[in-house]
Amino acid sequence: MAMHEIGRREFLRTVGAGACALCAARACAEDAAGDSVTEGAKPQAAVHEARWYDRLPDKAVRCRLCPRECTVADVERGYCGVRENQGGEYKTLVYGNLCSTNIDPIEKKPLFHYLPGTTALSVATAGCNMECKFCQNWRVSQYRPEQVESIVIPPENLVRAAKARRTPTIAYTYTEPVVFAEYVHDTAALGRKDGVGSVMISNGYIREPALRDLAKVLTAVKIDLKAFSEKFYKEQCAAQLAPVLATLEVLKDIGIHTEIVTLLVPTLNDSVAEITGLAKWIVTHLGPDVPVHFSRFHPIYRVKNLPPTPVETLTRARKISMDAGLRYVYIGNVPFSEGESTYCPSCGKVVIRRVGYNVDASLLKSGACASCGHKIAGVWSQDDALAFKPRPPKDGKPAGG
Amino acid sequence: MSMKRREFLARAAAASAAVAGVAVAVRPAPAGEAPARPGKSRVVVIRHEALAAEGQGPPAPRVREILDEAARALGGDARASDAWARWFKPSDRVGIKVNCLGYSTRPAVASALAEAIGTIGLAPDRTILWDRTSRELKAAGYDVRDAARGPRCFGTDALVSRGNGGYTADVLTSGAIGSLYSRIVTDETTSLVSACILKDHNIAGLTCALKNFFGAIHNPNKYHESGGDPFIADVCAHPLIRERLRLVVCDALRPQYQGGPSFRPQWQWPYGGLILGTDPVAVDRIALEILSKKRAAAGMPALEAEKRPVRYLASAAERGLGTADLGRIEVVSIGKAWLDVG
Repeated sequence: MAMHEIGRREFLRTVGAGACALCAARACAEDAAGDSVTEGAKPQAAVHEARWYDRLPDKAVRCRLCPRECTVADVERGYCGVRENQGGEYKTLVYGNLCSTNIDPIEKKPLFHYLPGTTALSVATAGCNMECKFCQNWRVSQYRPEQVESIVIPPENLVRAAKARRTPTIAYTYTEPVVFAEYVHDTAALGRKDGVGSVMISNGYIREPALRDLAKVLTAVKIDLKAFSEKFYKEQCAAQLAPVLATLEVLKDIGIHTEIVTLLVPTLNDSVAEITGLAKWIVTHLGPDVPVHFSRFHPIYRVKNLPPTPVETLTRARKISMDAGLRYVYIGNVPFSEGESTYCPSCGKVVIRRVGYNVDASLLKSGACASCGHKIAGVWSQDDALAFKPRPPKDGKPAGG
Repeated sequence: MSMKRREFLARAAAASAAVAGVAVAVRPAPAGEAPARPGKSRVVVIRHEALAAEGQGPPAPRVREILDEAARALGGDARASDAWARWFKPSDRVGIKVNCLGYSTRPAVASALAEAIGTIGLAPDRTILWDRTSRELKAAGYDVRDAARGPRCFGTDALVSRGNGGYTADVLTSGAIGSLYSRIVTDETTSLVSACILKDHNIAGLTCALKNFFGAIHNPNKYHESGGDPFIADVCAHPLIRERLRLVVCDALRPQYQGGPSFRPQWQWPYGGLILGTDPVAVDRIALEILSKKRAAAGMPALEAEKRPVRYLASAAERGLGTADLGRIEVVSIGKAWLDVG
């Protein structure tokens, strides 16, 4: 499987000699293996003890990272496919085992209210703790680590690469960062010390203690709220809605900058009633300033029988949400739409104009509308991003801790 | 084995079944007659002291003799080669799917099986012993090779040069599952044998003939919820498996009744058996009876009480993969009674 778009060699030149040496060794090994069918895939080099789990009798473990809380027998793996019980010790197999790397506009995440016009060094490992039938990245998210081409990049090398490329942010994205949370945590912590922010682009399927641990080192989060019905989550994602809503409430409690994306899949999650319910819930539970993006579905993976989302559906969802009280609502995957730009909720004038990934933020002055001075919710400077400190839980202890 | 002994053993097995409350037709090993009674799936359970040895069991030639006897009983044939020829032809490429996760199908059983199938005139290199990864095969004691002579033996990951980690390029759906299937199935075989091992499974309750094919897909981790139901049935219901699967040969030498799929010798016992059938659901049903009887005898709670009943058998039957109805299974018991788990 090919690495994502950044030139692999170019990237490796940046991340340091250690990683380069590893890659070169690996490439040589691959060349030597040729077509021999007895060699098999190379052993993974990114095995690392998992952080959030309990030991059970008879060498079993219970994963405490995500709401699935898999009980995993010796030699078995959890639902995500990247965590394995090895003799009663739970191991992540993807610590720095990156299958995708790219430098993206931050708008591609999408984060529209976080350092607009900047870039993010974007990385992923194999694996996910959901199985969305419409997953746009299923070629990596729904694979096990040994089934994709990967290179091991230690946290310090990734931070060094971000600095060398002058990207203010590392984005953990494409697949599901929750499943490589240990690496996210350690890399983000190092990055913080070295002036590099970290954003997690996630499905929000994570237990509160782990989320709070990550929030201590992250600078922003984007959550995929895939629908507003348990039926959709169960049938399309093999998951549940309630834990995702709980995550969003915890993020609000923590105070970290959060944006929400909903991919509208025709006939499955795009009804007026569902969009209305979703928007009202966000206004009520998270507040009107949370940026919300409605994104366009394209047929892929296990949902190939539905057409791409009509632009009118996205436009309608935006209007419904703004009528419900949300102040910043966007439509995604539709270039040249007015729903790409940010408007001042007070005077209605454009404050950040976007055309595709071209961004003009000149009408945003110190985080406020240049026309009327209304403060626009968001994180507008790297200093502000790095200064973020999470609020502790109200009772001093996270739920499920 | 004399007919008298067979009759005796059959009665003993029937008595055991009756004691266990199991209404299964048990009969002596037949010879030279139709493969099974009309409307019934025949399952052969052959037991021998030699099979009960600790560790890797007896050498392959000894296993082969016992296997041949079981094949004759299953096929109703006087000669073992005639029995094997019922299920395979010389032009076949036979994939023997072993289970190497934790507690593994013994190499002696798989090797004996490959040799036995070879008696029909199948070239040795047209047989492959396989599982997910070559590493797991090696760890289980298999001689991983792509040899010109003798059966080949390697994992799906050995085909990584064909792309996609050795799996199909596109996702294939079957009921609730969407998976890539091993290219060993699609590219290297025309027929399959489930060479499974009888053991407990901490989520699914039982792993035997059907669940063995979780090792044929790239994402089994996604399909263990609800005891693997209906996912295990759906994996096997895909035509790639359903239309290729000819035979089940279950290593029941020392089954494991608790703590699976890991290797837990404290819960293994010397059953000394091989279980053969062409109906994977029926084989699993009989395997479940054996496992359940042993658990009860050992004072362990029933799988239902541990909230891991074997749900997927009913789904497999619904999909037409075989019968889970004990009344429609004919058990041919050779040697010690099949439900004697002492």
